[in-house]
Amino acid sequence: MAIAELSNVVKRYDQKLTVDHVNVKIEEGEIFGLLGPNGAGKSTTISMICGLLEPDGGEILIDGLSVKARPLDVKKRIGLVPQELALYEMMSAAENVAFFGRLYGLRGKLLKERVEEALAFTGLSDKAKEKPSTFSGGMKRRLNIACAIMHRPKLIIMDEPTVGIDPQSRNHILESVKTLNQMGSTIIYTSHYMEEVEAICDRVAIMDKGHIIACGTEQELRERVAHEEKIVIKSGAGPLAPELLDELNLHPRINRVKTLEETVELYLPSSQSELQDILFIFAKHGGVIASLQIEEPDLETLFLNLTGRTLRD
Amino acid sequence: MANIWTIAANELRMMFRSRSVMLNTFLLPLVLIFLLGAALSGVVGVKGDSSIDPVRVAVVYTGGDPQEASAVADFMKSPELDGYIIPVESSSRDEAESGLRNGKYGYAVIVPQDFDGKVQRGQEVKLEYILGKNSMDNTVAGTVFDNFLGAINYRQAAVQALGPQAAVAAAAAAEPASSRETAVKLGDLNNGGQSYTASQYYAASMLLMFLLYSGLDVSGSLFGEKDRHTLYRLGSTPVTGRELFFGKILGIGIVAALQCATIIILSNLLFGVYWGNRPWLLILFCLLMIVVSMTFSIIVSMFCKTLTTANTIVNFVTVGMTFLSGGMNPLPDEWVHSVGLFTFNHWAMDSIIRMMLHSGLSQLLPNLWVMSLIALVLLGAAIFSYRKVGYHA
Repeated sequence: MAIAELSNVVKRYDQKLTVDHVNVKIEEGEIFGLLGPNGAGKSTTISMICGLLEPDGGEILIDGLSVKARPLDVKKRIGLVPQELALYEMMSAAENVAFFGRLYGLRGKLLKERVEEALAFTGLSDKAKEKPSTFSGGMKRRLNIACAIMHRPKLIIMDEPTVGIDPQSRNHILESVKTLNQMGSTIIYTSHYMEEVEAICDRVAIMDKGHIIACGTEQELRERVAHEEKIVIKSGAGPLAPELLDELNLHPRINRVKTLEETVELYLPSSQSELQDILFIFAKHGGVIASLQIEEPDLETLFLNLTGRTLRD
Repeated sequence: MANIWTIAANELRMMFRSRSVMLNTFLLPLVLIFLLGAALSGVVGVKGDSSIDPVRVAVVYTGGDPQEASAVADFMKSPELDGYIIPVESSSRDEAESGLRNGKYGYAVIVPQDFDGKVQRGQEVKLEYILGKNSMDNTVAGTVFDNFLGAINYRQAAVQALGPQAAVAAAAAAEPASSRETAVKLGDLNNGGQSYTASQYYAASMLLMFLLYSGLDVSGSLFGEKDRHTLYRLGSTPVTGRELFFGKILGIGIVAALQCATIIILSNLLFGVYWGNRPWLLILFCLLMIVVSMTFSIIVSMFCKTLTTANTIVNFVTVGMTFLSGGMNPLPDEWVHSVGLFTFNHWAMDSIIRMMLHSGLSQLLPNLWVMSLIALVLLGAAIFSYRKVGYHA
């Protein structure tokens, strides 16, 4: 059963289509990744799902309820972890969680239990009485999550929850997402970090310029770009000579060449058959190879293949 | 309704945890009332009556015989002067001046020779006054003798016009009217027969100014939710825009009401400020002022992009209106009743001062209607702008 269903959803800002006829169905119990570069329309889509923005066209159903017709019922089923920290610095961690809990109708003993539960889940039990102003960035991010899950929502929407934090907190958050999913919540996870989405999501939709350009499981998406491999070569003697790069670009079996300082990425149908040619070109122009790596196609490759740009462009 | 209380309680919690808010809300108004009331007590308000101590007046008969100036001597003995002057016959001018210098006398009068005769003949005759050290004594004694000379001039004029026989009739006519009826009727200019002090004036003025300043808390709260991104999260919770609006109004309104109660009660206890005889009406005017200030700030906040801009406008309007309504320094009546009419403060200030002076209800009701109308219009405009312009993350 679909917990979220978007049909032909459109959103315009000043006549510019920010979300362009998006159709997607998110099944109950899955972790659904929404991957795309900054400005792709992910946050706008999230805002419309949460009832924060009204679509200019199309319909959004959450748990079978129309967001437009029954916004309050829909909001009770959702827990939003915003991209920006949304906390009251003058209130303690427990007071922050409790305030939002009350807005979801929790009271008395139940509220107290849920606050403790949410703080324990995010590893902040011992910081319950401290104010977020004394927290590290990672702890604030975890508290940001605690404020969204204390009412045990059916659908948790996380909008880039790992922006700007240390690897340890990032891993903690990713593990938390998996645990929340195991506890029964459906998760929509937006990110422009391909690795995160690959690590935790059951299905992924890739967004660009307001469109969903690909949607499926990681395996399904990989298969779409299985015809192309990537060779990453790192130079051992500074930037590569322009003549060397020109010859690589002119090679008929190499689809694209991308250079980044001392590294060159080559996209081609088969690395095995062309590797000898590539090494010959390097030798011919005096190129020194420090390392060479053949990579299997990933979501980044798929995005590049579909848009001609990288996720971080 | 539960969400409104939850949001209101959250507002209260945050405001009471801010040290600057506490100082500005509760301490600063009292300090200002004290400072302004004490510093400007001489220029504000209607002063109360002063008691007059009798003045010792040295009377020097230049001719040496008081019978030559029986008019003066009789006047000195008249009972109406009791309590005002104590006449003391002095032997010479030098003795009188010496007495003035050493404080024995407060005033001296030199009566010329043949005073009665000159009066009777219609000739020019002058009393000479020598002033003492105390201005109040000089005023009292000067007034007494000026009145005496007035009566003498009247009698002389009658003599000159009608002949010596008319002097007797003129003397009878010049008898003080007090024996028949009161010549001056004391009016009740304040309508309540009381006056207000500088502390009262500035207590009312500061109360209204700080209530108008409570609008800053509204704009701070509205922009604060945006700046800390909590408005975005609040938008995803099952809270309606109306609940958020009234929750914030209620929370900040409670703080403003507490501020109001603090100013009224503590100014009364600490500085003896008397707030009048209509506490319920006073509360009503304060509540209307709170509604006016908060709704005004909401409208400003809806049309401003930053907190700084909104606060600048609210500050400017608050200070401007307080000044134009005479709240910083009493302004000329023509100002207060022309430009001042266009300020929120004027109507409440005028009413509170009238309540302090025990004015009748009929004098207060027009102000109440005007304040209610202003509050109603601003509330409508605030709700309209909140819904139309919107309050979004």
